[in-house]
Parts: sequence; structure tokens; C-alpha cells
Amino acid sequence: METVVKNNESSSQLGVRQSFWQSFKKNSIGLVGLVMLSVIFILAVFAPFIATHDSSSSASAEIGDIYNAPNLEHWLGTDDAGQDVFSNFIFGARISLIVGFFAAFISLIIGGTLGLVAGFFGGRADNVIMRFTDIMLVIPDLPLIVVIVALTKPSLLNIIFVIGLLGWTTTARVVRSQTLAVKSRKFVLRARAIGAGKRHIIVRHILPLVMPILVVQAVLVVSGAILSESALSFLGLGDPTALSWGQMLNYAFGRGAMSIGAWWALVVPGFGIVWVVLGLTLLGQGLEQTLNPRLDTHHLTPGRPAVQSEAAKPSVEKKGTILEVQNLSVNYVNEGKAPARAVENVSFTLKEGELIGLVGESGCGKTTLMLALLRLLPSAGQVVNGSVNFRGRDLTQLSDDELNKVRWKEISIVFQGAMNALNPVRTVGDQIAEAIIKHMPEFPRDLRLQARVIDLLDLVGIAADHKDHFPHQYSGGMRQRAMIAMALACNPQVIIADEPTTALDVMIQAQILELLDSLRKKLGLSIIFVTHDLGVVAEICDKVLVMYGGVTAEYADVDTIYNEPRHPYTQELIKAFPDLTKPKKKLSSIPGYPPRLDDLPAGCRFAPRCPAAFDRCHTEQPALHQLSENHIASCHLVEASK
Amino acid sequence: MNRYQILLRKIGWALFTILFVIILNFFLFRILPGDPARAGVRDPRLKKESIEILRVRFGLDKPIINCFESLNPIKVGSCDVNPLDTQFFIYVRNLLQGELGFSYHTNRPVGELLSERLWNTVLLIGAGQILAIIIGVIFGIVAAWKARTSIDRVAVISSLVAWSLPTFWLGIILLFWGSQNGFPLAGKTTPGMSSMPLLQQWGDLAVHMFLPTLTYTIIYMAEYTLIMRSSLMDVLSEDYILTAKAKGLSNFQILKDHALKNAMLPLVTVIAINLGFTVAGVVQIETVFSWPGLGSAIFEAVNRRDFPVLQGAFLLIAVAVIFANFLADLTYTYLDPRVQTE
Repeated sequence: METVVKNNESSSQLGVRQSFWQSFKKNSIGLVGLVMLSVIFILAVFAPFIATHDSSSSASAEIGDIYNAPNLEHWLGTDDAGQDVFSNFIFGARISLIVGFFAAFISLIIGGTLGLVAGFFGGRADNVIMRFTDIMLVIPDLPLIVVIVALTKPSLLNIIFVIGLLGWTTTARVVRSQTLAVKSRKFVLRARAIGAGKRHIIVRHILPLVMPILVVQAVLVVSGAILSESALSFLGLGDPTALSWGQMLNYAFGRGAMSIGAWWALVVPGFGIVWVVLGLTLLGQGLEQTLNPRLDTHHLTPGRPAVQSEAAKPSVEKKGTILEVQNLSVNYVNEGKAPARAVENVSFTLKEGELIGLVGESGCGKTTLMLALLRLLPSAGQVVNGSVNFRGRDLTQLSDDELNKVRWKEISIVFQGAMNALNPVRTVGDQIAEAIIKHMPEFPRDLRLQARVIDLLDLVGIAADHKDHFPHQYSGGMRQRAMIAMALACNPQVIIADEPTTALDVMIQAQILELLDSLRKKLGLSIIFVTHDLGVVAEICDKVLVMYGGVTAEYADVDTIYNEPRHPYTQELIKAFPDLTKPKKKLSSIPGYPPRLDDLPAGCRFAPRCPAAFDRCHTEQPALHQLSENHIASCHLVEASK
Repeated sequence: MNRYQILLRKIGWALFTILFVIILNFFLFRILPGDPARAGVRDPRLKKESIEILRVRFGLDKPIINCFESLNPIKVGSCDVNPLDTQFFIYVRNLLQGELGFSYHTNRPVGELLSERLWNTVLLIGAGQILAIIIGVIFGIVAAWKARTSIDRVAVISSLVAWSLPTFWLGIILLFWGSQNGFPLAGKTTPGMSSMPLLQQWGDLAVHMFLPTLTYTIIYMAEYTLIMRSSLMDVLSEDYILTAKAKGLSNFQILKDHALKNAMLPLVTVIAINLGFTVAGVVQIETVFSWPGLGSAIFEAVNRRDFPVLQGAFLLIAVAVIFANFLADLTYTYLDPRVQTE
């Protein structure tokens, strides 16, 4: 049994290593670094075979041999002692690498151990170690190294030890924070709960996860040690018997290479240091990027322009209709792969004073749809079809400047404010006032502006004295209400509320819903309310759009959805929330998960989870069927019964 | 905890660190071999009386600290001495009076010698640091703004290359270039300049400062570029930037009003932490360009085995770095509203 488990573990580790190598191979920066290092390693290892001259041939040097320019005999010229610079360069690689690697080894052992102990045991040990690390981090290391080496003998061994003993601070910090992160992972907690020894937990569970970080750190520490050694040698504190690159520079610089103009004696050794350190830096970058892949896009990266759809009719402004979304499709471009079809062919209309509920599980394309309305999609997202008609204009085709006048002034969004939707370093009142200043330039920027902010906060039930507080001083519910106040700041006609209550507890949830509903009635707002909880919107909305896997499952007025749902998904959703009038009814949940948007099933997207699915469902995507004037469902069963 | 208490705690912590440095500085020079004063009093060729004179002169006749006559070799002594009459407390007392001993080489007070040089170093670091921060921040902003474009790639790669340059070597290369182009090769002023008009003196100083400052700027700018870029990339991916975009703010307004301050915060910490490493660069730059600062004082002291100067210079640099760190820490507290109320 034990061996089986072990085998599994080691094979999965092997798998991790393989996939690491697979993604590292694609990282050009890391590969370049690896190649650069390999070259210098080969030079160092095979130095005696590559060097053209013996390094100890200076005894016979004559005055005419000194500082010879590069020639056929000496490819890179000669130095102040008449020695061959090329050969010294090759042998110097050995010394610089040896010092770098051994010193780094010492630093990593010390820093790794201290970081592991501090992170794992916490409390007093952590406090003492980290305080000591802080002190050592502040003390400038090169002067300290200089002092110690000056007071002892400048031998290679001393230099290695001094650099090693002083270079552990950043490693300790990095390892500690990684240990802290790993310590609270489930499998470590489980191992602790079943009483595994501390030693076992550290060696078997924590160390393997700290290791990758330690490898990246090692690369940086080695380059730091090589730089320290070269600086030390340059300052005249190197081992006089070991001709490292720094020592070569020290001799050349101190013995007239500059005034003679012997650039080769100055350039070549420095080039070696740059080569190795750059190789290490690039390798470190590559490893880091492979371990923690980060997107190189952000919210301000220019988006992809919407494809102008031929089908989009010049919208006729229907009476009472404020927003009309027609056949909207959004793709996420996936480099080298098929695009993820996040939203496909979704249509709905929003009338004045209406509240639409947009319902579906997480990952159904709800948020993508909402972001697409105001063109707030991440840069990989693209509107590939359809139109968003707002009062006679297609928002997908507006210029950025025109769009910026619609954003917030006409259509505002309430994000999940409990998280991070408010800027942490500006006061809430300031952020509300900002919207007014931007969109209502005629509004006086004096006390009246402050009064308006206070009014808005009052409207959502936040006392005036909280105006100048920062978001972190607010509770989750208050932040959400502040977000609503901000959304109301410019008297918009439409508010998109994107899961505004998801992170909140039930009481606050109810308050927020009530608030939105009362504001709608008081101010005549139209609201799109996005939620994954059908129960939440049952009471307040007029229409419901149920989405599944990026497509419309069912769209109808709220009574139809609750009383005569036709799509099996809607039916399952309704079964999944408690009905107070039938307390004995069994609640059911839908087994499985929504499909991955880059790997959609061939037929109906709900088919794999659908209790009523039949053969056709797995091969053919159902069309949208108009059941009555205001009722649409996309299901083959509906067609059959029609 | 209110702001006042935080301030007190930070001051206390800085003082504790300084105390640690003082203790370290004292004992390093007592434990490690190599100090000629102590080597001198063990020289068998000297007469007993001469040794005694030397011992008294360097204060070596006193025990190092209670219970220890000497630490290298370790000699246990009486624990009954007046603690104020030990080498350690005499050292601390002298420090408090601003006395750092006398240079072996010039016999001048170390304090006086170093204070002239301190300002030259501050001048060099100040100019270089300001330039490096301004240029680095601008490059970082442009790189993050144009993420994924070739501008971004050039900025990142060239920063990585500059980051890999040994400081002294870049200095040598620039000095080599300067020597071909008529730049002064060493020092801070041209001899005889003090009789010239003030404006000309400043011009002379600027010409002398150009290459050292350029070296400093190139080396440290690279790091600020990389940090600013990644910090701004992080901030621009935050939810509140999406909120700002939804509010209809232009990209420039978002950058100016919502991203920059937040992105600068990590940079403040890095600048503070960097000061320690900065000193390493300054020692090398001053040595290459013979700039009369603390760094070259260290270099000269090492080569002349002038240990009182070395000890003093190390202490001065360490205290200066701790102080600068303390200031940066305060700035951070002031800038980030989240810290104040924690």
C-alpha cells in the first residue's frame, strides 16, 4: 500500500517537472539565459583544453609583452604582466563561478533554514529571526564585507565564507513567506490533523513546494555573489593568487591600462561578468515567469474592435425601450487555440423603469455580457457579432470619446464592491465626486458638490461623516452601498448591477435588494441585475434571462419563468432553491459543472447535465424558439411540443 | 495604535538598529585579526616600555568589557572592573561626543576627515538617485502602458542588461570613453578653481560629476524601471481600475488619478531597501572616479590599513542608511492610508 502511494506521488511529481519543462521551453528569455550559462560552464570546465596559453607563463614576460593589442598569437591581447588575456579570461571563469556558487550555497542554506523555521514555527522564533533579518537587511553589505575581509586574510575561502554568511537575508524573507503560504494549504493541515511529525511535514510537504521558489532565489543569489566577489577584487581585497575576472580588472585598472589605452584588458574580464550575471538574470526571469505566469495585459490594454455585424438593423427607437441588445456574441481570443465562445447570440430588451434579472451559474458568460455592453472587456475579449442599441446608437461602434460620455452618465455599473472595486487610497466621497466632476462640468465645484455627495450617501443609508473615510474603513455592506451611491451620482438611466450581493450575508443582501428596488421606483431607473441565485431576483424583477454556457436558455417575464419554465435548466434552477410554501419539498442540485467555454459540447451546451437529454441534444445545437410574444427558450423539447 | 505610537515605535526600532551596528562595529575590530594597533603591541621586536606606551595610546590597556581582557585571543579577566572604564564604554562615550579616533595615516580626527567626505557622497547619491528615480519611473510607466509592444520589450531587456552590469566596470568603461572626450578623469574640482567666479566653479563641479552620476543613474534606473513596470501592471489589473474605466475616465485620467499613487507605494519600499545596496555601488563608483566621498575613503583606508577611518566610515554609512530607511518608512506611512489605522 505504502509503495503504491509513493509511486503515485513520485509519478505526479515527475509529471509536474515535465510540464514545468514544457512551459519553460516556450520562455525565450529563460532559454537564452540557460544557453549563455551553459557556454560559460563549458569554457570553465574545459579551460585547460580551450586556453591557448598556460596561465603561469608570466615568469618569462618581457617589457615588450605587456599590453599587446589583440593579435594572432594573443587573440585578446596581453595584460599588465604580459599574460594572454584570453587564457586568463577562461581560467578566470572558473574562479568567479566557484566563488559565486559556493558563497550562494552557504547563503541559501542559512537563508532557507531561517526562513523555513520562521515561517513554519511562527510566534517567537519568527519574531526573533525576522527582526534580525530586518537589521541585517538595513546594514549595507559591501562595506561590511570589505571590513571583514580587510581584517582577515583575503583568501578565496575567506571571501566565499564572508559573502555567503552575509548574503542570506532576501532568501530568508522569500522562503518564510512561501512557507507561510504553503503551511495553510489543505494537505498540510490534514497531515497535521492526523498527527504527522513536524519533521515529516517540513520534509515531505513543505519543502517540495518551497523548492521552486528557492531555485529562483538561488539564481539571484549566485549572481549577487559573483558581483560581490568582483567588486571586492576590484577594491583590492581579492585573493592575489586567484586571478578572477574582478582581479584581472583590478590589475589592469591599477596598472595603467587606461592611460595606455589597452581597452582589451578592461573590456574582456568585465564582459565575462556581464555575460554570467545576465545569463543568471535571464534564467531567473524565465523560471519566475514559468512558476508564476502573469498576464502581460491589463484593463487599459487596447481592446479588439467590435466586428460590425451585417445583420444589425439600424435600430428603430421603440417607444419605452431604452436598451436593446441584439444577437450579441463575444469571443475570447486564445493565442494558438480556438477562441472561447463566451457569449453567443444573446438578445434582450430593457424598457424604462424595468428590472431584468440575468441568471446563471458562475462561468455562464453573464459578466462578460455585461462588460461587453459598455466595452469593458479584457483585451482578449471581442464582440464578434450583434449590436447594443442605446437610444438609437450602437454602443459597439462608438468612438472611445463618445463612449466615455455614455459610461456612467447614461449607464453605470455596480460592481462587486465588497471586493476591490473602490480605490483603496482615495476617500469614498472623493471617488463619488470624481464622477460628478467628470460628467457634469456645469456642477459647481464647491460646497454644493460636497452636499451632493452627502445626499447620495444618505440615499443609500450611509451617514455623512463617513464621506471622508477610506474604503477599508467601511464594512462589506457599506462598500456595496457606497458603490450604488457612486453609480447614481450622475443620474444615469440604466444601472447594471453585477452580482452586487454575492459576497454579503443574507440580511445585508436583503437590504441592498430593497434599496435597489426602491431607488428604481423613486428615480425611474432601469436595472439589469446579474446574479447566480434565481431566488434573489424572484421578488423584484420584471423579466428574467437565464443563461447557460454563454447562450440564452430561456427568456421570459418573471411569472412565466417561475410558473411555466420550459427549459430543463430553468426547471432545475427553480428546484434548487427553497420554496417557503412547500417546506417539505426536497431541494435538488444539478450534478456537474457548466462547460468550459473553450471546450464546448457539440450539441446543446446543457446536454451533458440535462436530465431530459436525448440523442439529438448531443449532436445539434437547439435554436431559439419563440414560444409566445415574450417567451423564448432554446431546447429541442420545446420544438417537439410546439 | 495611533500615528504617534507608530512613529515612536519606528524611532525606537531605528535606534535599536543603530545600537546593533555600533556593537557590531566595535566587536568586529576586536575579534578579527588584522588591526595593526593590536598587531603592533604583540610585536616581539618592540621593547616592553614601547609596547606599554602603545597600549595606553590606543586604549588597549583597558579590558574590552567586563570579564574579558581581550577577545582575540580570548583572555578572561576580572568581572569587577568599573564598566565605564572598559574599552567598549569608552568607545561608546567617545562616539556620543562625536569622536571616532585618529587616522593612522594622517593623524587627523576621523570625524573631521569623514564629515568633509560625507557631503560629497550625499551629493553624488542625491543627484544619481533623483535622476534614476525620475527616469526609471517614466520608463516603467511607458513600458507598462505599452505592455506587450516592442517599446515594452526594449525597455525590459535593456533594463535587465543594465541590471547585470558590475557598477565599477560600467564606471571604467565610461571613464575610458570620457578620457577620449575630454572629461576630467578624477576628483571633484579642477585645482585652482576656488579663485574662479562661483558660476564657473559650479560648472566645473558639474563636469566632474557627470560621469559618476551617469554611472549611478544607469545602474539604478534599470531596477526602478522594472519595479515600476510590474507594480503598475499589477495596479492596472485591479478591479478599481475597471471601475474607473466604467466611470468614463480617459486612460490618462485613470493613470494619473487612480494608478500612479498606488503603483508608487511599493517603489518607496524598494528605494528604502535599496539604499543599503546603493552604498555598495557608490563605493565602487567613487573608487573608479576618485570622487572624494565616503566610499573612496573606505577604499583608501583598506589599502593603507587605516583602521580607525575604516571603522568610522562603516559606522557613518550604516547610520546614514538606517536613517534614510527610517525616513522612507515614514513616507510610506504618510502615503498609504491603509497603514495609518491598522
